[in-house]
This record gives sequence, C-alpha cells and structure tokens, in this order.
Amino acid sequence: MSTHSKAAEAFIADSERTAWHNRALWFVREKRDRMARSIPEWEALRDAAAHTKMHTITHLAYYLEMFERNAVANGIHVHWAKDAQEHNETVYRILSEHGARHLIKSKSMLSEECGLTPYLEERGIEAVESDLGERIMQLMHRPPSHIVLPAIHVKREEVGELFERELGTEHGNSDPTYLTHAARKHLREKFLHADAAMTGVNFAVASSGAFTVCTNEGNADMGTSFPKLHIAIMGLEKVIPDYDALALYTRLLARSATGQHSTTYTTHYKRPVEGQEIHVIIVDNGRSRILANPAHLNMLRCLRCGSCMNTCPVYRRSGGYSYSYFIPGPLGINLGMLASPKLYSGNVSACSLCMSCSNVCPVKIDLGEQIYLWRQQLDSLGLANPVKKGIVKVLNTALRNPGMFHFCVRAGRLGEKIAPRGLLYCGANAWGRDRELPKFTSRTFEQIWKEELSSTAAGSPETVPEDSSTNI
Amino acid sequence: MTSKDTILEALRANSPAPLERGPLGFTPMTFEDPLAEFRERVVKAAAARCFLLEEGRAASDAVAAIVRRTYPDAKRIASSLPEAAACATFNPDELKDPRSLAGTDIAIVRGAFGVAENGAVWIPRTFRHKALLFIPEALVILLDRTQIVCTMHEAYSREDFDTYDFGSFIAGPSKTADIEQALVIGAHGPRDVSVILL
Ligand code: SF4
Repeated sequence: MSTHSKAAEAFIADSERTAWHNRALWFVREKRDRMARSIPEWEALRDAAAHTKMHTITHLAYYLEMFERNAVANGIHVHWAKDAQEHNETVYRILSEHGARHLIKSKSMLSEECGLTPYLEERGIEAVESDLGERIMQLMHRPPSHIVLPAIHVKREEVGELFERELGTEHGNSDPTYLTHAARKHLREKFLHADAAMTGVNFAVASSGAFTVCTNEGNADMGTSFPKLHIAIMGLEKVIPDYDALALYTRLLARSATGQHSTTYTTHYKRPVEGQEIHVIIVDNGRSRILANPAHLNMLRCLRCGSCMNTCPVYRRSGGYSYSYFIPGPLGINLGMLASPKLYSGNVSACSLCMSCSNVCPVKIDLGEQIYLWRQQLDSLGLANPVKKGIVKVLNTALRNPGMFHFCVRAGRLGEKIAPRGLLYCGANAWGRDRELPKFTSRTFEQIWKEELSSTAAGSPETVPEDSSTNI
Repeated sequence: MTSKDTILEALRANSPAPLERGPLGFTPMTFEDPLAEFRERVVKAAAARCFLLEEGRAASDAVAAIVRRTYPDAKRIASSLPEAAACATFNPDELKDPRSLAGTDIAIVRGAFGVAENGAVWIPRTFRHKALLFIPEALVILLDRTQIVCTMHEAYSREDFDTYDFGSFIAGPSKTADIEQALVIGAHGPRDVSVILL
C-alpha cells in the first residue's frame, strides 16, 4: 500500500467527516466554475496566462535581473538565496541587524518549504502567523492541510475549543463570526507590537520593480503597516514581465482560488514609505533544476491558487495530511517528486487520472499528465511497488500466451463457483476489501466475438460504428 | 561566486529555448454601462456599500450626510480630504506613529479609479500612513464617477498607473472563510466599506 493510502485510512475512517470535507471543497470548485462562466474570454485568458508564464520561464535570468535593477532603484533591498538554508539565514540576519524579536507573518508556502518558523523559534524569535487559517493551525501545532484554505479540515467546534483554551473565548461557542472576531482582537495586538513583518509575493513585476501580495483578510496589509521592517520572500518563478502580464494573473487568481472576482486586497509595494525598509529575498531552492527538466518544467508556472486541490476527487476524500509532501493534491504530488522521488513517491498513486486538475488550472499545467509520467518512471527510479510489479509480470506472461490465458479464464470461472468466500476475499485481494468481485458472464468476449463473426457479414466496414475511433 | 551569480548561471545554463511573448489573443470583455456594472459589483461581489453623490449640493455636506447616516456611532473620523472637511474629526497625516491610528472609527480616502469587472477601487497612497486603509472599523472611499475602467487590463494600462509608491486594489471589507468556509466580514481590516461616487 502506498504511503498515501495508508495515511488516508485514518482520514476516511470517519465517513461523515470525509463527506463533509468533500462537500466543502466541491463548494469552492463550484464557485470557481460560476466565475469562469461569467467571463466570456476565460479560456483565452488561461491560454494567454499559460503562454506568458512560459515566455517568462524561458527568460528567467533576464526578468529577475530586470526586477532586481528596478526594485533597487525604488529603494528595495534585494537578496538571493540558493536554498532553504540560505533563505533562513538571510531572514535571520536581517532580523538580527534590526534587533527584531517579534515577526508577524502572512501566509507563504515558501516559508513552509524552508521550515522558517521552527528555524526562527530556535533562535528566540517569535513568528506569529496572521492569516486566520494559518493561525488556527499554528495554535494547533499542526501544518496547514491546503495551500489556500489551511484549516479546511478543521470543524468549527474544534476551533471553538482551541480558542477557548488559547484565547479565552466562551465555552461552547463555535460560531464562526464570534470566533473570527476573537482572533481579530487577539491578532490586532500582535500587529501593533510586531517589530518586523513578513509577506510572500504573489507577483513580482520586473518592468517596475514592484510586487503584489493578495489577501482577503488584509493580514499582510495590517502586518506591514506598523513595523519599520518588511521582508518579502519569493520563489524565483514569481517574477512576471510587466503590468500587462499582471492583468492576466489578477483576473485569474481569485476566481480560480476561491471563486471571487478578486481578492479583497491586491496590494502593490513599490517603494518603502515613511522610513520603512523593504527586503525581498529571491529563492531558488531547486527551481533552477526544474528548468532543465522538460517533462516537468511547466510546474514553474504555478500561481499557488489551490484549485487543483479543490477539484481533485482523491484530495477531497483523503485530506491534506494523507500526502507525505507538505503541499498536497495534484500540485504537491508533482512538486514532491521534483523535490525527492525517494521521499515522496508514495503520493503518485493518489490520482485517478481523471485530469480534472489539468482542466481547472488557470495556467494550464498538465498536472495529471505529469503524474502519469512519474508513475511510468517509478520502476526505473527503483521505486516501483514489488507486489504490483509481480502482478504485472504474471499478467504479462499470461496475456502473451493464449494457452495459459484460456487456462486462467477457466480456472477463474471454476474458482468463482467452488472457492470459499473466505479465500476469494482473503487479505491478498486488496481490491476485494471494499468491493464485491463482478460475476463472470456466461460467455466470454472471445466466444461472443467468434459467434457473431460467423453469423454476420464478418468484418464488413459498415458494421463498424462511425465514431469507433473515439471509444476507449 | 555570490548566490546571485550561482542562481543566474544555473538559470541560463538550464533555460529551454526562448519562447516569444506573442499577442494577447483575445479582446477583453467590456460593459455597455461600466458605471452601472461597477456599482452592482461593489455591492454584490465586494460586499461593500455604494452611493451616488447628489449633484448640485456641496460635496463636503453631502459626504458628511452619508457618513452620519451610515455610521451614526462613529466618533473618530480620519481624513485630510476637503470633501470630508464637514465630518472628519482629525487629520491622520499629523500623527507621527501609525499605531496612534488604533481606535479610528472611519477613514475617508480618495480612490483613483474603479474596476467594473470586480468592484475594486485602486487606492494609491496619497496620505502619510498606509495603515489608514486597514486599521479603521470602516473605510469610506471617494471616487470620481467618470473614472471607471472595465477590466484589469484597462486598469494596468492607464498611463499614470505606475506612479504610486504603495497602493492597493480594495474590493470591499476585509473577509475570511477560514472556519468551515463560512463567510465572515471583518477579519483584520475594516468591517465595512462605502464607495461614494462624486
Ligand atoms: S498547479 Fe495550477 S491549479 Fe494547482 S495551484 Fe498551481 S496554478 Fe493553481
């Protein structure tokens, strides 16, 4: 069994919760569909967005240098980090130089990727998440289970209990409005007392040296409003050429992510104001390596909108914690394999190849197709499941040898009649654990084929249905 | 070699064949009546209020009337705009520390233009502290009704767009759905937003 199926067992044991999780995410997917249908040029917009990202990816050095040049001219400090370690060290060094001890953070997947918070905490720096979902997860001491909706798997009653314990809210009150406003009060103190703010970067506009941060809560905005120091961290693929490109992405992002026409705040930082300092850290951490991988290069287009998760039937029914990589769903399966096939190959089976992710992705990343490619490479990577490998070997022999094939069919029919149920549904038959085996039909396909062929005008072209080429 | 050089070198070495930018490939949507569309989306999509200022009345009186009617309990009203002169209680630009803005009931600011497709208003910083947009309980945005664009494409191609130092497209009050996907207004920023069209 894959690491994913094993971990998913715990999640699906509570079938009501599974159904609830599935519904919550499907609701977001439906909102996204309504948005897509309200824009006549939606598909052309996706095409342009995908193409523009491809153009950028094939000119990354050029646009990153342009961004740096313009940002520096605007008074922004720009740093480069090869990997997670250098990223963390750079953040810590900047904080230390400013004597900052209290960092207020807005959501950033890059910070999770680099393990920044534990790194800072070990060095005595308080790092507080300010996005409500992230804060809930931080107080629970658990990682987010979705990249846009970090606490999507948590029920309101659980938040109620958590806040009662941590923030002193009323016992038994789990009203989302009440709890959100309690968090508002709690975090407002943190905003006002932080001595440094950290944000991610949704888009870095090369032509202008500006960058944008998109949120609904306004937490990034509140965070950067008071302290003198603002550190913004970005994966190097976040750079885009100019405002024409930004128009494409701001039109797609929120509609795809949460089914809104735009995020409440699409904030643009171009020059530090009122004695503030802005530091941008451009991080590689394996991205330049992906660039050399033609089969998976498309991953660098990702906007981190999360819609591939919302639509994924496996993600919806197994939850974020079933995946061994810190990003779940179709996106995480692919990024995990790019990070380390050895560590994360247990996720590639968490896909039904329905391709729904590829169909909703605003920048048309072929997520499902790439998962299929990874599966084909498992054997050459030495990571194929030995049981499945054995089954395929046996099937290969049986299907190549008509005598053995017919023998197996006969044995199967006999087995169906005489074998005791306990044997047919024994532990070795993983497929039969939650399903009934289908009954053999009275005639095999081969028998039907032969009999029909001899009784009709065999093989005449008219008997072939016209659309036979589209059958699968 | 610096990290910058290492990264740029790796990017150059690994870069696939360059792909040309290409044309946009579509005509962005337009609206017959962008102002009407904008007003509708401010209310429906962004969950804000929208007012058309009566013509023929002094702007400052009309703005004050709307503000008093909409926010009868507001006491601390921050603005340095002439149109807000009749209702503002203090000038936020005179405060040295943005933290002193805590406890502000309403901030009245000027937006540069509105976007019909999403009900957002572009607010470049024309005041001292950017906190002014985020810390008050309610945000009132004054906007010239002739300054409406249809889409974000039009927004970003406005000639004067890139003249800000800090700015935000704001679409309604701060919100979240992080607890069970239940929409809650008033996460960290203003709980209420009014757009007044001058
Ligand atoms: S892969 Fe596509 S759908 Fe998934 S998060 Fe990235 S941009 Fe969104």
